[in-house]
Amino acid sequence: MTIALVGGTHRTVPIGLREKLAFSAEQAAQALARFRERFPGREGVLLSTCNRVEFYAAGEDDAAAPPHEQIVSFLAECRGIDAATLGPVLSQEHDESVVRHLFNVASGLDSMVLGEPQILSQVKQAWAIAQDSRTSGPLTAGMFQAALRTAKRVATETALGRERVSIPSVAVADFVSGVFERFDDKRVLLLGAGKMAAETLRYLRAAGAHEVVVVNRTAERGRELAARLGGRPGLFSELEAELTAADLVVSTTAAAAPVVSLEFFGRVEAAREGRPLVVLDLAVPRDFDPRIGARPGVWLYSVDDLAAACETNRRRRLGEMPLAAAIVEEETSRFMGDMHHRSTAPVIERLRAGWSETGEMELERLFRRLPALDAVTREEIRQAFERYAAKLLHPPLASLRSESRSGPPHGLLDALRRLFDLRD
Amino acid sequence: MAAFLSGISIVCFAASYAVALACEASRLLFRSGVRGAVMVGFAGAGLVAHTLFLGWRAANEAALPLSSPFDWYLLAAWLLAAFHLYFTVTNPRTPVGLFMLPVVLLLVGAAQLSSRDPFPQNPATQVWGAIHGSLNLLASVSVAIGAIAGLMWLIQAARLDQKRAPLQGFRMPSLERLAQVTGRTLAISAWTAAAGFVSGIVLNAVNRQRGLLETVPWTDPVVLRMGALVAWLIGADALAQLARRRADGPRTTAWLSLASLAVLTASIAWGVFGPTRHGKPPPSAAVHEEAAP
Repeated sequence: MTIALVGGTHRTVPIGLREKLAFSAEQAAQALARFRERFPGREGVLLSTCNRVEFYAAGEDDAAAPPHEQIVSFLAECRGIDAATLGPVLSQEHDESVVRHLFNVASGLDSMVLGEPQILSQVKQAWAIAQDSRTSGPLTAGMFQAALRTAKRVATETALGRERVSIPSVAVADFVSGVFERFDDKRVLLLGAGKMAAETLRYLRAAGAHEVVVVNRTAERGRELAARLGGRPGLFSELEAELTAADLVVSTTAAAAPVVSLEFFGRVEAAREGRPLVVLDLAVPRDFDPRIGARPGVWLYSVDDLAAACETNRRRRLGEMPLAAAIVEEETSRFMGDMHHRSTAPVIERLRAGWSETGEMELERLFRRLPALDAVTREEIRQAFERYAAKLLHPPLASLRSESRSGPPHGLLDALRRLFDLRD
Repeated sequence: MAAFLSGISIVCFAASYAVALACEASRLLFRSGVRGAVMVGFAGAGLVAHTLFLGWRAANEAALPLSSPFDWYLLAAWLLAAFHLYFTVTNPRTPVGLFMLPVVLLLVGAAQLSSRDPFPQNPATQVWGAIHGSLNLLASVSVAIGAIAGLMWLIQAARLDQKRAPLQGFRMPSLERLAQVTGRTLAISAWTAAAGFVSGIVLNAVNRQRGLLETVPWTDPVVLRMGALVAWLIGADALAQLARRRADGPRTTAWLSLASLAVLTASIAWGVFGPTRHGKPPPSAAVHEEAAP
């Protein structure tokens, strides 16, 4: 039984080469069909995301997983890349380290953003494509099912995926949601429309916000952005009225000086009649005078405030790493133990068959010498023989299982073969 | 069955609530996949034992809910425990038990310290007595819930002011939701306490008019403390209404809710330890009872 991995991630493969190497779902299915033809009897799963391309191959002893060079050539051929270019940047792993790596990947421990959950659905998809392409088998099935189980354990037993680490997600989940219970009755004002504003708006829409006003210094650009973001364009000249009506402001202008001064806000504040206002000032330099944040009922957060919260969450995620790593290690050991034990099955089968055959022969001889025995007594004797054999077999089988936990029990298997004359 | 029910004591449900509180507190220390179920299990078991205890007293000791200070506190604790269980099941990520269960345990403790002697009852005034007790109970539970929501508002606002990410296992409801709860409970407590006070006056007047039971003088400490509590709650609600359209309105309401709980607690302490004629049998009846063999 061999398991091999050839692949590269954002850490090892330059983005230009990674783009060429990436497989769409359709291309992955085609590649696996080609793999099946070229390496019959072997198992293969191709995991391709924007950050990684990894090929998992496995095979039993009579059809072992292809060696590293052959998998590299195969991938290069599939994507039309020179194998000499690809070879040096793709890493390889074998057996237990492949299993550990896959479990880490599925759990998000190998991701660019530690603990991100999207990778799990990508692993599931890769596995589904392999099943459809008929390149999956008992080894990869066991390995991928164990990977999904590991990821589920990491997600439920640690807080790794719970702490948000991007500025827009932290802003909405940890701060804006701390002020507002619902968003469907709130008005969102986008002041300027940088990339961060669009991303923040995505989270706000997911939370239920639908009334969005986009105000830009240039009216034409404002209308264009409003159309793109699904909001209503507002006029910069009416900023005071828009601020008065807004519940949440996401500000990302490129202005060199604050757009909303304390004096300007003083006029707005009087007209707001005490309604709370959340301001996400994501612009650098800042759009809102920081003193506005000290006004009652105003919750003002700058990029630095949110980045500090992100960093806290990132540290918390890192704090969960030992627990997550322990889960991965435990699951890897369990899987490898099961795999090694699986490899002892033929010897156990032959041992059982040999003992059963001998037992049957002895029983037949006994029954011939004692013809007066009735059927019930014969059955009792037969069962006693079977129990006796099972009890005798128990210690060697328990030793095999125990030995399997630390690696393939070659020594014990060899001893059993020789002691009991077990031939293939 | 009867032996089982009669064996349920205050310690049974107080211990269950205490374990649920310990589970809630442990959220701050470590994560656990089974803690939620354990916590709901203990809170639920406590509530069931609490219900059976009150039911057993009602059925076997002629101690209908609200019929003595002891039962009154236990019923208030039961209402809060039921609210706690409901909030915990519907908002599993909010550590509401951390705030609510101590109040439940305090009420159980107050019950333990208070008299188990039933209030003197007369069929002619029983309805007024029930109305009076129920309204006061509702007012007290509203004050407690409002104060808990107010405290949570202040903690959440402090976190948002300091721009800190929420602590693990300590995610509070939004300020908007908490402000709604504090505002509404303050209004409910003010008007139910006022109605409870008025119903007490009516009850007293009926007693005096018909010469049924001992009347409570206006200068009785219970009348004074309840009057002060009603005046405070109505004043607090009026202040909260005035502050509603101000930016610092929710903060003002949160502080008023907390102050209301302080006033209520002082009032209860006065009731537990102070001398009163409230809910006492007439002196003639007491002499009668003492003289009886």
